[in-house]
Amino acid sequence: MTRENLQKAFLTLVLIIVFGLPLILRSPTYLHILVLLYLYAYLTTSWNLVGGFAGVLPLGHAAFFGIGAYTSTVLYVQYGVSPWFGMVLGGVLASITGVMIGLPTFKMRGAYFALATIAFGEGMRVMVENIDHLGPFNINGPRGLQIPPLNVGLANLMFTNKEPYYYIILVMLIAVLAVTYFISRSRLGYYLNAGGEEPEAAMSLGVNVARCKLIAMAMSSFLTALAGSFYAQFSLFIHPKSVISLDLSFEIAFIALIGGRGSIVGPVLGALLLRPVSDFSRIYFGATLPGLHLIIFGMVLILVMIYLPRGLQQPLTKAYNGLLNRLDRRSR
Amino acid sequence: MVFILEDTINGILMGSIYGLTALGLTLIFGVLKVINFAHGSLLMVGMYVAYWAVTLSGAHPYLTLILVIPVMYLFGYYLQDIVIKPIFKAESEVREPITVIIVTTGVWYVLDNLTLLIFGPHYRTIQENPLRGKMLELGGMLISVPKLWGFSAAVLTAAAVYLFLQKTSMGRAIRATSLDREAASLMGIKQFKIYNIAFGIGTATAGIAAVTLVPFYNVFPTVGVLFDIKGFIIVVLGGLGSIGGAILGGMIIGVIESVGPQFMAATWAEGIVYGLFLLFLFVKPSGLFGVRYDW
Repeated sequence: MTRENLQKAFLTLVLIIVFGLPLILRSPTYLHILVLLYLYAYLTTSWNLVGGFAGVLPLGHAAFFGIGAYTSTVLYVQYGVSPWFGMVLGGVLASITGVMIGLPTFKMRGAYFALATIAFGEGMRVMVENIDHLGPFNINGPRGLQIPPLNVGLANLMFTNKEPYYYIILVMLIAVLAVTYFISRSRLGYYLNAGGEEPEAAMSLGVNVARCKLIAMAMSSFLTALAGSFYAQFSLFIHPKSVISLDLSFEIAFIALIGGRGSIVGPVLGALLLRPVSDFSRIYFGATLPGLHLIIFGMVLILVMIYLPRGLQQPLTKAYNGLLNRLDRRSR
Repeated sequence: MVFILEDTINGILMGSIYGLTALGLTLIFGVLKVINFAHGSLLMVGMYVAYWAVTLSGAHPYLTLILVIPVMYLFGYYLQDIVIKPIFKAESEVREPITVIIVTTGVWYVLDNLTLLIFGPHYRTIQENPLRGKMLELGGMLISVPKLWGFSAAVLTAAAVYLFLQKTSMGRAIRATSLDREAASLMGIKQFKIYNIAFGIGTATAGIAAVTLVPFYNVFPTVGVLFDIKGFIIVVLGGLGSIGGAILGGMIIGVIESVGPQFMAATWAEGIVYGLFLLFLFVKPSGLFGVRYDW
């Protein structure tokens, strides 16, 4: 087999495994963990469009997640609008917000940008916590919103078992990975990369760095909001501290950074490796050793930044390529 | 009217303590050009050191400064030397390495959760506390005594750090490194030693803030996060790298937080602080005292 065929075979194998997994794994607990794992992989991949390719450090993505969650929930619970429509509308709203935030902040230097996005995310949380009624919409302040599980079905993005959620988030993850793949090969991807690494050099070559970053931000915030709507329908309860928290913003960014910013597989690998650590340490050591997963998380973050600045994908990609080469050589 | 005056005074006092917590943040930024996300966690460590020193020895809370300052200085010195220096060496040509922000966040996660693991999530207050609930009556107004001491500590520490930077040869070396690290290195200043010392001093000032907080504030593993976000806002408001700006920025935040609730829900005051912060970032990112150079 040639290299390309090997790669295709590998990809097919992975797809067969992920699509077949719910047939073998019947436990709702494990499916729940997997849905959240894919959700995080999706979020980190969306974050990567700005945080990875554009070379800045946004730490307020939970705000977009919250916009998505609140838009679809308010429209569905109070007006009976399908969450699918709410999802898209939430995405558009988040996108507009993202551009409005990006316009003044992308001019800032690294640290200021990170701080501005933190303030934006936290400011959004404070606003939602303080507002009970936003015009005709009831967002219920700090108490959050509950979605009554009544009209179950695909049209309402609500199911009694976990399998449909699993497939929906899986398809979303594959779609966002495809988007990332095409962007990384596109003119925009190269511009973003150039603007992220050497903004002055890129600008002198005629690249409109600020506009490229804004486009990346618009896409990233749109995609993040879709995940927010999905999460709302999955957990059926949202409140400001859960969907617009600083912890969520940080977790998204740091899983992506540990996996490897700017690469396509990095953020997914990060979620794949770190989510189970946090889920299982919470299940088994939650009572005896609280915070263990965050200690591991912090240590991994420090060690990766010192020894593998390109993230965990660096050695893994190398090993994968080595394996492909060896198989390739053997088949000749 | 008296209420507003009382709130303003208490806001200024509390705000100056916020400023003291942010002093190290602005100092470290001035020299290393790095926002230390672990600063709140360092404050938390200082509070635990002070708490245990008081609880085990029964000494007056302010007496623990003798222990807390050197412990925190060494803690910061070696934290920078062991954890943060490798990043600077790897990315020597980057002026503001984002990677360092990320590493300090890792330090924050580890410190906070290690504390949670060892001491549990309980809120602790010192038992034998001569300052508990002490108030000073002044023309019908009640003013908290520990906060008054905190205010004095903030002003004195800021003055001491400022004089140290201006008048001593070590201070001059630190300022030189902050202006241009290559040129300073060429003059024979050891760049990383200066970084260690600046980080140590920054951490020691967080220790002083911790000691002034312990008599009237709860000690718990995530106490630093509250001061972390506030610290970021304060230093940008005052101008990153400006010593006086940190104290004044702190006072502004303190006054908004204590006077604001007279006119609106207390939670909205928090929103106003974020709004003000974003406004400053957009309109005048150099802050109130942002100087052309970083001092």
